[in-house]
Amino acid sequence: MDWLYVTEVALAGLGAGALYALTGVAFVLIYKATRVVNLAIGEILMLGGYVFFGLVAGAGLSIWAAIPLTILAGAALGAVVERALIRPMLGESPISVFMVTIGLGSILAGVVELGWGADPLRLPEFIPNTPIFLGEAYLAPKVAYGALVAALLIAGAVIALRFSRGGVALRATARDQGAAYSMGIDVGRVFSLSWMAACATAAGAGVIVGAIGGISPTMGIFGLSVLVVVIVGGLDSVAGALVGGLLIGLVEALAGSFLGGEYKLLATFSLLILILMVRPYGIFGTHEIERL
Amino acid sequence: MAGLALGAVEARAQAQEDIVLGGSIPLTGVFAFAGVGIHAGIQDYLKIVNDAGGIKGRKIKYVAEDTGYKVDASVAAFNKITSQNKVTLYYGDSTGFAKTINPELERKGTMIMAGASFASELNDPKKFPLQFLPGPDYTEMFGILMRHIAKEKPGASIALVYSDTEFGRDPIAPGEKLATELGLKVVEKIVTPPGSVDVSTEVLKLRRARPDYTIFHGYVLAPIPEFIQQAKQMGMQSRFMGTFWSMDNSMVQQMGEAADGFMGVMPYRYYYDKEGTSPMLDRIRQMRPEYQSTAYMQGFLTAMLMTESVKRTLDAGKELTGANMKASLNTIKDFDTGGIIGVPISIPGNSLPVGRIYRFDAKQKQMLPASDWIQLGK
Repeated sequence: MDWLYVTEVALAGLGAGALYALTGVAFVLIYKATRVVNLAIGEILMLGGYVFFGLVAGAGLSIWAAIPLTILAGAALGAVVERALIRPMLGESPISVFMVTIGLGSILAGVVELGWGADPLRLPEFIPNTPIFLGEAYLAPKVAYGALVAALLIAGAVIALRFSRGGVALRATARDQGAAYSMGIDVGRVFSLSWMAACATAAGAGVIVGAIGGISPTMGIFGLSVLVVVIVGGLDSVAGALVGGLLIGLVEALAGSFLGGEYKLLATFSLLILILMVRPYGIFGTHEIERL
Repeated sequence: MAGLALGAVEARAQAQEDIVLGGSIPLTGVFAFAGVGIHAGIQDYLKIVNDAGGIKGRKIKYVAEDTGYKVDASVAAFNKITSQNKVTLYYGDSTGFAKTINPELERKGTMIMAGASFASELNDPKKFPLQFLPGPDYTEMFGILMRHIAKEKPGASIALVYSDTEFGRDPIAPGEKLATELGLKVVEKIVTPPGSVDVSTEVLKLRRARPDYTIFHGYVLAPIPEFIQQAKQMGMQSRFMGTFWSMDNSMVQQMGEAADGFMGVMPYRYYYDKEGTSPMLDRIRQMRPEYQSTAYMQGFLTAMLMTESVKRTLDAGKELTGANMKASLNTIKDFDTGGIIGVPISIPGNSLPVGRIYRFDAKQKQMLPASDWIQLGK
């Protein structure tokens, strides 16, 4: 066995996995606070890629100005969506809310197609392009830097959740909405905050994913792999998204190299079924969560 | 006498009845970049014909519906258009649709069809007697590429990188066979799941194979640029090639640095190609001053071949049935496309097995010819 090759494949897999993990965190944030399964996360990620493209190529902003603006735009979208679409659905059956997010995904894909057309586009190059070698092993620079940024963002999210007032309020609401409410936590604001944080994270992830593979109205399909990641990790666990993301990235890479590309999804979904059979609530998920 | 007069009136009404070209066109969805170009190309060619008085005084009416590149929507569009119009010509948007609608097409027997698919399977006049491909099928595209490779570097090694879709898998098995016949070695086959973004692991696999040439098939843009960029970073010397749908000039331009030297097979000439006399290309540039995609050329040529077969059928005094029009289409021999294709073409069966290798020039930012026209079977 060629260990160098295995190492390179594993590194590439972990790099891709970091992006899954980041988007997974966005998914978990919403589920944790509001119990909404947000299937539009892939499309929100796509919109982030397009907003960034619009700011840089259309408005001529510098990349370093465009990135924070994209993330802000993501947060704004999150606030609007939560207030206009999700809040009125409070108390409705989870399936209805779930369907609303599917509709939202289609709307976002349509809006992007109307605004930018259906052609696949490439984002301007901004990630350093010098090859990275860890010892002998090659690592694609975009994947490496993408993973690094993803790791920093995830770390930021974890710290914010643990120590910031908003984070504490979010965790309290996730644990027991009624209790949080009676302790004076504005639950409505927490919902809004979780959507804003999640959509901002997804928009940021969209910039990285777009920088690696280009953007197109169909890139929301990335959300499908992320769904597997969070189901494997546990819908309400940030740590689960992290481990799930890396695991799925690694499994996909190894299956792709040693079995062939056509086995990637097969391997991923087999793993999904296996984990669901052993731990129906995911590796780190809490027991009582509802499955759709 | 009165009956005779009535008959004459009817005949005249018949003579002036519009000929309908129906279309299931993907104006939205994953294939919309092509659909938009195809749509414009068909419209422009029909405008040229209609402005010149139509075919024997009969105008051609274009009736299209958006399908979103979904087979069920395409079939629905087909049913709607054919129930509301007397359709003679039809443009379909995918291999799936071409296969699904084929029995219905044969049952009706009133039209011929072409479309966006160059699937090898459709290139069979026995199974698909009323359809044709306005270019080489995917296997023939591989044939053109490999003939070029065999000439440039005999015994070269090739890697095939393709998407795990019907479109991607189409020419792989016959392509491998062809490579062996031409004395080339297929050293690696890499399949990527549809919609995959990150291809780092696949590139590692490619590097191990060290092919002289890498042929991509089943993609439009992503993940080709990332593949090439990473491969170049790892110091790979392979030449990178594509097939029709990844060869549009504006798409290749988007590859950035990776575009330099990217090659591929193209049956049509590019919008900006001013070599020789090409009245149709001049006309297109006149009608549309801005660059038009290769999908546009595909739609334009399809409409040209369809109307030509209608014209030949009417000239022969025959009824416009599917079988008659297909027979007329097959009489097309050494036909001048007005510069859309650089050599006179013939359609002996269901396809047009001709193409040319183009290579991207980073300085001029254009795909430029890298070979003569290659006609398979000649």
